[in-house]
Amino acid sequence: MFELTVAERHILGNPKMALFTVLSVALAVGVIVVLIGLTEGYKVNLIENTVENSPHVTVEPKEEEDYIYLYRTLTSIVDVYPEVLTASPRLIGRAAAKYKDNVEGVTFIGADPVQEDLLLRVREDIVWGDYYDLRFKRYAAVVGSDLADDLELKPGDDFRLTRQYVTIQVKAVGIIETGTGLDQTLVYLPLETAQDLLGEGDVVSEVGIRLSDIYAAPAIASDLNNKTRYNAESWQDKSRDILEQLDTQQIYSYIFYLLIFIISGFGIANTMIMIITRRTKEIGILMAMGADQAAIMKIFVLESLILGPPSVLLGGGLAYVAGKLIGNIEVPAEIYIANRMTVVLNLETFLFVSVFALLVNFLAGIYPAYKASRLDPVEAIATE
Amino acid sequence: MSKIIEIKKLRKVYGDGVELVALDDVDLTIEEGEVLSIVGPSGSGKSTLLNMIGLLDTPSNGEIWLKGQNISKASSKERARLRNKELGFIFQYHHLLPEFSAVENVMMPLLIAGVEKKEARHRAITLLEEVGLGDQLNNKPNQLSGGQNQRVAVARALAGHPSIVIGDEPTGNLDSKSSDMIYELLRKLNREMNQTFILVTHDMDMAEKTDRILRLVDGKIVCEMLRDGDKFVTRDLCKLDK
Repeated sequence: MFELTVAERHILGNPKMALFTVLSVALAVGVIVVLIGLTEGYKVNLIENTVENSPHVTVEPKEEEDYIYLYRTLTSIVDVYPEVLTASPRLIGRAAAKYKDNVEGVTFIGADPVQEDLLLRVREDIVWGDYYDLRFKRYAAVVGSDLADDLELKPGDDFRLTRQYVTIQVKAVGIIETGTGLDQTLVYLPLETAQDLLGEGDVVSEVGIRLSDIYAAPAIASDLNNKTRYNAESWQDKSRDILEQLDTQQIYSYIFYLLIFIISGFGIANTMIMIITRRTKEIGILMAMGADQAAIMKIFVLESLILGPPSVLLGGGLAYVAGKLIGNIEVPAEIYIANRMTVVLNLETFLFVSVFALLVNFLAGIYPAYKASRLDPVEAIATE
Repeated sequence: MSKIIEIKKLRKVYGDGVELVALDDVDLTIEEGEVLSIVGPSGSGKSTLLNMIGLLDTPSNGEIWLKGQNISKASSKERARLRNKELGFIFQYHHLLPEFSAVENVMMPLLIAGVEKKEARHRAITLLEEVGLGDQLNNKPNQLSGGQNQRVAVARALAGHPSIVIGDEPTGNLDSKSSDMIYELLRKLNREMNQTFILVTHDMDMAEKTDRILRLVDGKIVCEMLRDGDKFVTRDLCKLDK
């Protein structure tokens, strides 16, 4: 197969041009793999975040009711499932926090500290004080770090929580930093204290459940819906909207990737046209020696095909390095869901992008190769 | 001797608006084993005629018969095949492929024909030895002199055992010593293998060494001279005043 030999020599005879072609495809592959990796990483972070920072199953009152009254009975029903690690009755509500002249809106969560810690690993995020103090001190609170800053509240200070006509005074016994937007509004209270603030008696607004197997959540939720008169929802249901939104966004991303590929395709076509222009005379000579149109076309299609694999491999390498570097950048958790961006680089994405890149590479090579094969040998030989 | 090429009323017209007649009803018969030279001023149609015979260009009118086959209307694939099997080209500038060594350049027509690499290499080495370049096999064109490159080009033209070798000013770019050397080489090959040579040249010294000289002016053969021993005799169609 002399076509392959000629194609090889053309590439080796002009390494600079070959390098630029390889780089243009490699960059496209690298950028796209990293972008897909970032989107995937966001998804993974989001799921992890959801799974770590919210209950796997949440049992809420029926629609016409505001609170769960018989939460102790409910908890005993829930505890029967072998996958259940803990069931924490929680009372969640909104209130105003006042310290000196500062007032901020807060979201309070009243719960039993032991169960709540099992549910959401609250103590891991405590930066000052001890969440378990809430077990023994009735008028104590753990405050979000940003909220404390906004209120100019120092650890150990007393502040006031007001809801409608009820005001209670609590002591800040702990500061919590979850790394999310919650830090601006969150106040943890003992369950009884939250119930005092609400003034509705011995009620909770939900029971949060943590499971040993997060994928058992939908089955348990639906079983609870059948067995009880409450509304159980798995974490998958809760985050469905945002996951669907991500998928929709993905479609736009794919259009964007396609555009990147088209641009790199034009780059390849341009390089190939340049190569062919420089080789016009040689094409004429090969034709004079008896190379037919198909052979000439083959030579130049092969040239773009030969450049394909090193391009995608280099692109993969670039993506890997870029992925690692991006993974090391710290980002504020308020604007992203975690304090490091995760780039998920899997082989599947790389292969998918590579196949597409090779296809673009091939298509971009076809037209210039076709033009080369249609050259008039007499004119081609006469080219200077 | 048998006819290898027969050209009947060959006409080539260039251009759409203003027509330029490059060849004007040319009739020509070339015998097997003949060494023919075509001379004439620039723009007289010499190269056009050569490109027609070499199957690089197609006629506007008329017929070209190669070994009894009418090739005027052959497909581009068929013409490529015939160029490979029947024809060898030597250009004014060697036109070797710059990235390939001497031996690889000579191998190329054989590889295009689908000959095994080993066999092609063997044939190429034999030819290069014959043209006196047995010690330059692996040199690339930029490592060889003009005369050496042209000898590689001759070897390449002969690689596929073509029945016709076409030379467009094959020595036009060489000094007289190299030029003589190339011509002697061609002549020797002609004697040994009975190949037909058709040479376009400006060099009358070289033309006078061939068997037949055709003079082309304005796309017409205006003069034909045949060798008779050491002299040339003109045929009746010779109009030297033109």
